[in-house]
Amino acid sequence: MDRTAKRAVALATVLIGGAALTGCAPTGSDGDVVTLDFWGWGTGQKEQVAAFEAEHPDIRVRHTDAGGGDDSAAKLLTSSRAGNAPDVALVEYTTLPALVVAQVPRDVTELVTDIDDDFTEGTWAQTTFGGVVYGVPQDAAPMVMTYRTDVLAAAGQEVPTTWEEFADAARAVHEQDPDAVLASAPGGELALYAGVSAQAGAEWWSVEDGVWTIGIADERSLEVADFFEQLADEGVVDTGPLLSPEYNARVNDGSIAGWIAGIWAPSVLAGVAPDTSGNWAMAPVPQWTPGDTGVPFQGGSAMIVTENSDHPEEAAEFVRWMNASEGGSQSLIDDRLTYPASIVGQELAETGAPPSLMPDQADFWQVAADVSTDVVPVTWGPNVSLAKTVFTDELNAAISRGTPWRDAFVATQEAVVADMEKVGYQVRTSDR
Amino acid sequence: MTAVETRPARRDGVGSVSDRGRGGRSGTRGGPGGAGKVLPTVVLLIGAIYCLVPVAWVFVASSKSPGELFTSFSFAPGTGLGANLAELFTYEGGQYLSWAANSLLYAGVGGVLSTFVSTMAGYALAKYSFPGRDAIFFMILAGVLIPGITLAIPQYILLSEIGLAGGPLSVLLPIIISPFGIYLSRVFAQASVPQEILEASRLDGAGEWRTFRHVVLPIMVPGMVTVFLLQFVGIWNNFLLPFVMLSDEGDFPLTVGLFTLLAKGSGAPALYSLAITGAAVSIVPLVLLVLFLQRFWRLDLISGGIKG
Amino acid sequence: MTSTSTPSRAADGGALRPEVVHPVRTGRAPRPAGRRRVPVAPYLFVAPAVVLFVVFMLVPLLYTIWSSLRAYRIELGTSVLGVRVDRFVGFENYAAVFQDAELLASFGRLAVYGLIAVPLTLGLALLFALLLDVPAVRAKRFSRTAIFIPYAVPGVTAALLWGFMYLPLTSPFSYVTEALGWGPVPFLEGNGLFGSLANIAIWGGVGFNMIIIYTSLRGIPTDIYESARLDGASELQIALRIKVPLVVPALVLTGVFALIGTLQLYGEPNTLRPLTTDITQSWAPLMTIYRDAFLTDDLPSAAASSTVLALGTVLLSALVLGIANRKRSEAAS
Repeated sequence: MDRTAKRAVALATVLIGGAALTGCAPTGSDGDVVTLDFWGWGTGQKEQVAAFEAEHPDIRVRHTDAGGGDDSAAKLLTSSRAGNAPDVALVEYTTLPALVVAQVPRDVTELVTDIDDDFTEGTWAQTTFGGVVYGVPQDAAPMVMTYRTDVLAAAGQEVPTTWEEFADAARAVHEQDPDAVLASAPGGELALYAGVSAQAGAEWWSVEDGVWTIGIADERSLEVADFFEQLADEGVVDTGPLLSPEYNARVNDGSIAGWIAGIWAPSVLAGVAPDTSGNWAMAPVPQWTPGDTGVPFQGGSAMIVTENSDHPEEAAEFVRWMNASEGGSQSLIDDRLTYPASIVGQELAETGAPPSLMPDQADFWQVAADVSTDVVPVTWGPNVSLAKTVFTDELNAAISRGTPWRDAFVATQEAVVADMEKVGYQVRTSDR
Repeated sequence: MTAVETRPARRDGVGSVSDRGRGGRSGTRGGPGGAGKVLPTVVLLIGAIYCLVPVAWVFVASSKSPGELFTSFSFAPGTGLGANLAELFTYEGGQYLSWAANSLLYAGVGGVLSTFVSTMAGYALAKYSFPGRDAIFFMILAGVLIPGITLAIPQYILLSEIGLAGGPLSVLLPIIISPFGIYLSRVFAQASVPQEILEASRLDGAGEWRTFRHVVLPIMVPGMVTVFLLQFVGIWNNFLLPFVMLSDEGDFPLTVGLFTLLAKGSGAPALYSLAITGAAVSIVPLVLLVLFLQRFWRLDLISGGIKG
Repeated sequence: MTSTSTPSRAADGGALRPEVVHPVRTGRAPRPAGRRRVPVAPYLFVAPAVVLFVVFMLVPLLYTIWSSLRAYRIELGTSVLGVRVDRFVGFENYAAVFQDAELLASFGRLAVYGLIAVPLTLGLALLFALLLDVPAVRAKRFSRTAIFIPYAVPGVTAALLWGFMYLPLTSPFSYVTEALGWGPVPFLEGNGLFGSLANIAIWGGVGFNMIIIYTSLRGIPTDIYESARLDGASELQIALRIKVPLVVPALVLTGVFALIGTLQLYGEPNTLRPLTTDITQSWAPLMTIYRDAFLTDDLPSAAASSTVLALGTVLLSALVLGIANRKRSEAAS
């Protein structure tokens, strides 16, 4: 071999060898200390992890923020396919079924049997499919109505307890101030409509004996669509995207006077419009039938242990502590600023101060605990992200073109059904 | 078509009538010779202003405090520049600086490696004749046509098999291969390396590698600098590859970091200010690069390759 | 340095003819005669590039094509949600691509976008290049540098900047029109989107293309102009009749790149999505591919759409280059 060739081979060997050696980041046990990889977004993660490590000297946790709910679910899918997923991850309830289908989360039924009493049945159902537990719920996000007390008072309205009262209140607020709206009903909020429809008795995805029933466009959901469309046409609810610069400006100047969303809404609003603190209050979400108490969840996440993980026991311990222990729950409240799903966590929360948005609402956490008792389960299916993109595009189109909102629901149902059938599920549509 | 002006053409070649380039056909702008000088300049200046407006905006906007951002007129300077910068550099314990360092790492190291690989390949494709040469060249060129998104996931899976995914190497390795860089190197090698020099070197007994190192490389330096600069800018500005490959926020380059800030910003408007300030700061290095290294941009290479 | 325009040399690439190299006259041992026919050196020089290309482009491409012939199906096992398996399905995914109304619509949008962006980018680049070449022009260095600056701004950042310039709350343009009583400029609504998105690309691309065309112009010997000027031709005529035809190769090259860039449009619409409800998740084909690959975890569909897109790009580029070549040989004959 001539000189050139020899040099080339040597160089190549060095390069490839070097690449191979530098690639591996050791994860695993070093003696007795186990290191876990954890993906979780949101404020206060590092603090909560530090609190865990303080109580568990033999487990180290490497935390990474892999992006918000949708982003990190996408990364989980990709990395899991490559065998690269972290040991533990935070996932939204809506993405969990799709992850289960892709075999990302591990079956942890045996590993967490001791804590299922720490959660209400409705909450625990969010992470259990067909009797198999795939994760532990972290936060509870019961739907509540966050509203401006001053705007409501100026319109001479009492706090609405039913959706009909809500409609009247919204109209009154709008009459008082033509720029003001009592809530937002934008195209991009699938979870909002799913929750309110569930509250009306719809079941968007449900499965029995291997047959799925899709109810996105069942009668009750369509009535929900009509209800919000009516309000939007009258101009008493806003249809622009949430948390855009326009939205934020309107919250600041008081023309957005309410938000129907999960109980995390006040902390988001406080970040957006800190100067309006003190003018807001939280009330239970309106009901369809007077006297009902069912409250759906909107949002919320759970922690899973991945199939990939080499240390399932330690990972399960981490998950248990973070979500169902006193220390973990206290950290959820103080550092992560979330409302825990566990009963112990909710009891702890009741002793705390109300959120900064409504510092004078002393019964905030009491109300929160009350509404969390009668949970209306919102069941998700394996193709929620498809539903989300179709629904958002269709509803936005309906809003801008002025066509019936029902059509968007129907189109979404058709897309969901077609997609599930194509993939091999047995599907029927709801006849309710 | 404008009537031909019969003014005597001056020796220094100054045109006598307004040059409207491609667009103007509207005849009689003739008039005093001054119009011929003014209009091209004016049009160019309009173009220059158009190109600078958003850049100016972002610098002005980065001086606004979060409260002023949405309430004051776009081009009115604000009062928060110092605060914004402080906020930017201390966010998450100096994460912005890590991002900047990462961008420098990927663009710098990636650029250097890519230049060498491209130069070697371009030289060989230009100055040697060997079986498969044209096939290799066209195959590599065709790489330009494949959308990056298509390759992203398979590349990710591939790197995972080797155990490299998720870390900086997963970004560095794929960007080394640059079809455009190879094309440019080939053009430059063809244009600037005379065959005689190569043959003389071989006659003197130098091996191919020696010839390359001591004879060819010095000649190709201007072209290599151009390729490096193009690669540097390209990698610095690359978003998709690091977005797919990296999982740890600390490894992000500026493009992905800023995108993440903006995505988080919808729930926390203070982050908009941060993202804007971050964008402004991130533009500065490249603008400086472009400004001060202009004489190294031998972009005639690109058009040189298409003559004949 | 040898000039670039010696076609014969360029065409054969300065071939090294091993058999012509004489045996070395110094004391060094001659290389084995058998080596002459196929030199090892060039292969070694291209080896890194080829290896990297194969590993990071060819193999992933083949994987993509392989993946496009498969699909995910559900097998109902013990889990109520089913278990996903990978099945061979032949060309089903491709059939779905051509029947997907939304995807075809996105190609339609791309066409409208391209018809605005490509001619304007090249037209403005040509205009500015020609203007820079006018002898009497002033502020040349400033203008040239200023117009090149957008090249230094990454696509995502550029979209961010322009996004804020379009958003009624922060837009200086809307500020002016609102002050005049006309309401905000509909940059981000409906059909205004085409222009707005095209503008971002034009803004980013004019500078680079301008420099390419300009350096091509600088390569034209000036005595060609002298004779034209002596004949009394105006600058405009010189520009149109002499300069433009001579830079057509540069225009074709930049045109093909602009075309490829158009087909691969992704960053700009995606970055603007949070600011307007009129940009759907599948506004541009590559956005659909991203959604399939990353969001709905349907890699095979993404693979099929990507392959179709890549093929379309190849065909279109070949078409443009073919037409350009034919025009050139027609002009030469």
